[in-house]
Amino acid sequence: MSASPDHNILLKVDNLGKRFGGIHALADVAFELEKGSINSLIGPNGAGKTTFINVVTGIHAADSGEIVFQAENISGLPAHVIASKGIGRTFQLEELFAGLSVMENTLVGCHTQSSSGMLACGLSLPWARKEEKRLREIAMESLTFVGLEKRANDPISKLPLGERKLVGVARALSMNPTLLMLDEPVGGLAAHEAKKLVDLIYMLVGKGLTIFIVEHNMPFVMSLSEKVIVLDEGTKIAEGPPEQVRANQEVIRAYLGDEV
Amino acid sequence: MKGHILPGLVMLAIFLLPIIVPSPYIIGVMCFIAIYGALALGKAVLMENSGIFSVAHPAWFGIGAYVTAIATIRGVPPLVSIGVAALCVACLAYIMGAPLLRLKEYYLANATFCLLIIMEIVIGNMGSLTGGHEGLMGIPPLTIGPIKFEGDRDFYFLSWGLCIGSLWFFHNLMNTRAGRALRTFMYSEVASKSMGINVSQYKLRIFVITSVMASLTGSILAFWLRFIEPAMFGIPLMIELLTMVIVGGGGILYGPILGAFTIMWLREVIQAYLARLLPVMTAEVDAVFFGIIVILTLIFMPGGIAGWVEQLMHAGRRVGERLTRP
Amino acid sequence: MDLLSQILQYAISGITAGSIYGVIGICWSVVYLMTSVLNFTTGEFVMLGGMLTWGFHAAGLGLFPASVIAVAATICISAVMERTTIRSVRYPSARTYMMLTIALGAVIKGSVLLKFGSETRKIDPIFGADVLHISGATLTPQVICVVGLLVIVTLGLSWFLNYTLFGKALRASAFNSTGARLVGIDVSKFRLFCFGLAGGLGAVTGIITAPITFTGYEIGLLTGLKGLVVAIVGNWTIPGTVAAALVLGLLEGFGAGFISPGLKDVFALTVMIIVLIVGTYRLPLWKRGT
Repeated sequence: MSASPDHNILLKVDNLGKRFGGIHALADVAFELEKGSINSLIGPNGAGKTTFINVVTGIHAADSGEIVFQAENISGLPAHVIASKGIGRTFQLEELFAGLSVMENTLVGCHTQSSSGMLACGLSLPWARKEEKRLREIAMESLTFVGLEKRANDPISKLPLGERKLVGVARALSMNPTLLMLDEPVGGLAAHEAKKLVDLIYMLVGKGLTIFIVEHNMPFVMSLSEKVIVLDEGTKIAEGPPEQVRANQEVIRAYLGDEV
Repeated sequence: MKGHILPGLVMLAIFLLPIIVPSPYIIGVMCFIAIYGALALGKAVLMENSGIFSVAHPAWFGIGAYVTAIATIRGVPPLVSIGVAALCVACLAYIMGAPLLRLKEYYLANATFCLLIIMEIVIGNMGSLTGGHEGLMGIPPLTIGPIKFEGDRDFYFLSWGLCIGSLWFFHNLMNTRAGRALRTFMYSEVASKSMGINVSQYKLRIFVITSVMASLTGSILAFWLRFIEPAMFGIPLMIELLTMVIVGGGGILYGPILGAFTIMWLREVIQAYLARLLPVMTAEVDAVFFGIIVILTLIFMPGGIAGWVEQLMHAGRRVGERLTRP
Repeated sequence: MDLLSQILQYAISGITAGSIYGVIGICWSVVYLMTSVLNFTTGEFVMLGGMLTWGFHAAGLGLFPASVIAVAATICISAVMERTTIRSVRYPSARTYMMLTIALGAVIKGSVLLKFGSETRKIDPIFGADVLHISGATLTPQVICVVGLLVIVTLGLSWFLNYTLFGKALRASAFNSTGARLVGIDVSKFRLFCFGLAGGLGAVTGIITAPITFTGYEIGLLTGLKGLVVAIVGNWTIPGTVAAALVLGLLEGFGAGFISPGLKDVFALTVMIIVLIVGTYRLPLWKRGT
């Protein structure tokens, strides 16, 4: 384990465990993420990758262990509080708001950037109106960043899969996150769409974000990541730069079985 | 600016109606439309926008009416009674809302259904305070300072003021941050939470806000009719509100009010003609006709009348675009 | 009446009520599990059973033929309902079905009111009015019928669902209708069967309980609602529903006896709501225990 100065660590998980009934979705998972890095989490189906994101973002509470984000212990905090601390995410199954337009979906991401309450909004108080205008600017920025500004007023149902996934990214970006967790971002995308996503990710890192990707697509993961973490049946079996992980015997066995 | 012409015209029409058509009968029906429309609007906001399947609306309406009436009879100034009633309802909704809103979908509908029944029985049994099943009579008139609200015309403006005010409030709400947060609940609460929205807190807030609006509506009813009874606030009302939301179209904000308009005038028309054929015309018999209308609407026009209107306008807009293209 | 006989008496009336709610709860479960429809006309089926029997009997038919025709008629109404309205819903969702069946229930209720008027009716007990005495509490044969109905329905349905091919196919379709269709099961016939079954069971319940509780156009709502409550609390399983129903019935019986008959519904329904709410806290509590 390399000794890095603590102020460079954005996220640290230690001894993280999560059980669903009798099944250990996560057991004793521990690693650190450096600021400004691109990291990936891979593993066979059912390894616990999405559960990991869900636990870090607060959708599920961990049964054991701790999660430290920007030197603050966030284990056990509710999801909406963790979101306001600067962790944004996308979902494997998009989880977009089907009845809202592209712009409105992105605007929901801006929720933490403002604080106008129900009465202020309903009575159309001047400062609520000003906030709304500001949020629209932020949302438009996110949409322009992913290249969807022309689709702002379209209903979600009109967009193809690739653009819908980008809406999810724009929505997460509107949260002004420090850590962006992407759950299977290139699943189902065509080659040019995946390439566009890679460009976006590099631009985001340039702006100072830390990226954490859960993926199945090996070429995508290996070409992009500085660090790869491998999960199998809930436990971490490898961690390190892509070439190191690729050659790891345990990883190969996990993916291909014992018969290699 | 184009979007504001039609609503502006409608509001002008509503404002001018009692002046152009001084018939007390029409004004009376329109008062009911405003009152029930406002209630149906609140219900639709909960059900169609926030994913809260509460059918408890008539309860807040009734409690608001009763507290206002009881307080005013005992000498409390009308404006204060209205405030007290709203406060009572807000507290009740807040206390009951927190545990109740944990229930999902039909569990909540079921529990609030039970609540309605409980409330009706309780009010009916508190005879000395509430007049029991016979109802509460002799409610003093609404006087705010030197102004006395009496007669259908005064309450026409009051009730439509409340109705349009609610519409304006929810229109603002749904297009801004707080309302947008609510609108996400129907699609993905998980994504909602991940965007920083405190789902249970927002649900509780909209629950309390709509309950207070129902209470205010109840206060207006009490001062207008000067008489209230438990039967006005029970299950038949709940079904009627549901009908108005469905027929009018819950997906669009003005839908429930349109639904109230349609249902009430339809009822007047039916009663005028069928009163000759059938000797008994109680709320339950209405239910046959309106049950059929609901069924037909759900099958053939699931978006309700408002949904159909919006489709027409959308098609009209597209035709207009094609015509104006060079 | 000394305390023991009082308790016994209230328990008897409680178990009677509980049996009724149990069968109705099963009607709700069968339809919901198979078709995902929350059928708010379930209560009206009960009402129809009693009212139609009274109607045919008053028109001159014997009591038994009248009840048979009433049950058949209710089954038909339920089947027609399913075929015409419920199947035609374009965008099926729990909410739409709920509103649809509430509306249908209102139509049925209103029609009965139109046809038969608003007075409560009575049907004579099937086995006569002899009364049994057990330690100071009274028991009529009709009560035994009601409890017997619950036992027969519970055992019969369980046997049917678990040990017959048709029943197993039914359960399979409830789990996974696409898979069931792929192996040749006609899922739409099954839906029809479930609605018909709920209609028939409801009607039979209504007929058997009418001699005890009278019948009238408005009984469907409250009874149906209680059936739904116990089905939910019982988590839609047969044993769960029966248990919840008996608990609700006993709560009502003791509530009516020891608190006040007028407020028995308030008491029982409040307890049920509390149970529903506590249920939402249940899972985390269990987690901490393991």
